[in-house]
Amino acid sequence: MVINTPFSKSNAGVLITILLISCLLVLPLLAAVGCDLNDPDRDVKRLFPESTGYKTIYVSVAQKGGEAMLRRIEERLGDKFQGLYETADVPYTMYQIFKGRDLIGYIHGVNQKGTYGGIQVFLAVDLEGLIRGFYFQKLTSQFGKQLRDEAFGRQFTGLNLRDFFNYDVASGTVKGEGKLTAIKNPAPQAEADFRAALRATKKNLILIDEFLLGNKYLQ
Amino acid sequence: MKAFKSSLRFFAGRALSVLLLFAAEAGVLYSSNYLFFLEVQGIAGYSSAAGKAVFYSMSRMEAMQKPSLGFDYVQKFAGAGGDIATLAVQARLAVNAEGGDTIEPQLYNAYLRLKLGGSYIWAGHNRPKFGLASWFDSHGQLLQPTAMNGFGFDRDWGVGLERDLSWGNAGVSLTTGSGMSLYLKGNYFLSGRIAKGVLNRDNYTVGLSAAAGKVLDVMGVHLMNDKPALFEMLATDATWLRNNWENRVEVMAGKRGSTAAWAVFWRTGVGLLEESRLKLEAQPAVFRMNGKTNVQVSAGISYSAGADWTLRAMVQRDRETKDTRIVFQVYYYKGMRL
Repeated sequence: MVINTPFSKSNAGVLITILLISCLLVLPLLAAVGCDLNDPDRDVKRLFPESTGYKTIYVSVAQKGGEAMLRRIEERLGDKFQGLYETADVPYTMYQIFKGRDLIGYIHGVNQKGTYGGIQVFLAVDLEGLIRGFYFQKLTSQFGKQLRDEAFGRQFTGLNLRDFFNYDVASGTVKGEGKLTAIKNPAPQAEADFRAALRATKKNLILIDEFLLGNKYLQ
Repeated sequence: MKAFKSSLRFFAGRALSVLLLFAAEAGVLYSSNYLFFLEVQGIAGYSSAAGKAVFYSMSRMEAMQKPSLGFDYVQKFAGAGGDIATLAVQARLAVNAEGGDTIEPQLYNAYLRLKLGGSYIWAGHNRPKFGLASWFDSHGQLLQPTAMNGFGFDRDWGVGLERDLSWGNAGVSLTTGSGMSLYLKGNYFLSGRIAKGVLNRDNYTVGLSAAAGKVLDVMGVHLMNDKPALFEMLATDATWLRNNWENRVEVMAGKRGSTAAWAVFWRTGVGLLEESRLKLEAQPAVFRMNGKTNVQVSAGISYSAGADWTLRAMVQRDRETKDTRIVFQVYYYKGMRL
C-alpha cells in the first residue's frame, strides 16, 4: 500500500505560497526566540511538588500592550530591552500551575545575555508573586556549578518584585538597604553572569506582574 | 504490524477527545495556547562535481535544504487541571530549480502527543527514537547529522512513547521506516533510546540507542528502492557544552541490507560575539555502507543577524562523490498570531 504525503502538486501549491506571503504583510508578528521549559513535567513537579498539572500559555508584549507597554517595562526595569532576546514581539511561555482545579502558582523563564551566549533563568512564584523557586535552565559557564547550586537559588526564596525596586540593573548595585544586599555571589569569577541573573530575575518578575498579576507591584 | 495498528486505534480514540476539547478551548484575552511561525529560506551554492550553481545543500533529491516557504505550528490542549496534549505541524513548500517537480511539498512534524501519566505517547510523523537526530533539531541548518546520511530517519510515520526521568530520559518508537512519505511494503523501524544527563541542566547528555527493522531506501519524498532492507544498528551519542563550546559525537554500528554499516560523526562549534551570534562549526564524518567507506568533512558559519534572521554558509568535501561545494543560506523564522 502506498500513501504519499497528502499534498497536491498543483496550482494549490502556488496559491498556498501567495497566502503565506500575505500573512507576513497582514498578521501580527512575533519574534522567534522565546524561552520555555525543556522538561516541564519534571521541572513543574520539582518546583511545585504539590501540583497535579500545569497549563501552558503564550503571551507577548506586542500582543498585549505594544510599544507603550514595552516603554513601561523598560522604565520598571531601569534599562532598555536589547539584543536577540529582548524585543516587544518575543513570545513568552508562562505556566499556570494547578493542584486539582485550583491555580496555585506560576512558572516563567527569560533569556538573558550571559558571558557565553545566553542564559535562561526560571522563577516559580506563588499567586502573590513571591518567589518560591529560582533556577538556571541554561548556563554553560565553567563556573556555572556554583551558580546552579541550590544554595544560590534559595537566596531568592520569599523575595518579590518590591525587593528589586532599588536594584539598578545597569550598575549592578543596590541603592540603600534591602533584602537584595543579602544575596551573595558564590562564584566571583562569574560576576557578569551573577549580575545577569539578577537582571533576569527583575525582568522576569516585571513580566509576571504585567501578564499575570495585573500590575500588583506597579510603583 | 498488528501492534502498530492496535496502537493507532487506541491513540485515535484518545485523540478524538482532545480535539473536542480544542473546540471548547478559550484562552485569556491577550494570551494564546498556540504558536505559529512562518519560515522562509533561500539556498544557493556551487558544486565542483556538478560544475555549476546548485540550489540545494545536500542533493537534488534530498528534502533539506532547498529554497522554501514553510510554517511551524504548535497547539496546546488543556483541561481544567492543565495541559493534556500537544499538536505539532511543520511543513514546507520547497522549490526545485531542476528536476521534474518545481514545487515540492514536504512534511516534517505532523503529530499529536498525549500525556499518559508521567509519560507521553505520540502518533503521526515525528522523530523516531534513534540517535542524536531523535532530539537534536537541525531543521533549519545546513550541517546535518548522521540520520540524513542513511543511518536512521529525520522523521518517520508511527507511534512513540517517551518519559522524562530525573537523570535523563527514555523512549521507544515503532515507525514505518519510510521517512517523509508513508509507504507500507512490509517495512518497519523499531527503535529506542535512553539517555543520561539533561543538556540544559547538566551541560551534557549521553545516549544509547538501538534499532531494528526493514527500512525503505528513500531520499526526501523519493522512493529509491521499493524493497525493504534489513536495518540493525546500535548507536551512542554524546553532547557536551562548556563555556561557548559545543561538541556532539555519534557512533553507529550494525547492518544495513546484507552488509555491515557504521558511522562516526563529530560536530564541534564555538559561539562568538555577544549572545553567541556568530557560530563557527566543523563536522568531520565517516560513513561505511554498501561496502564503501566515505569521508565527509564540513565547515559551517552562522550569524544571527536579528531575532528572526540567520545567515549561514557551509563548505563541504565529500570523498565518495568527489565533490567540493559551498552553500549559502538566508533563513527567516517569524512568529505570528492567527
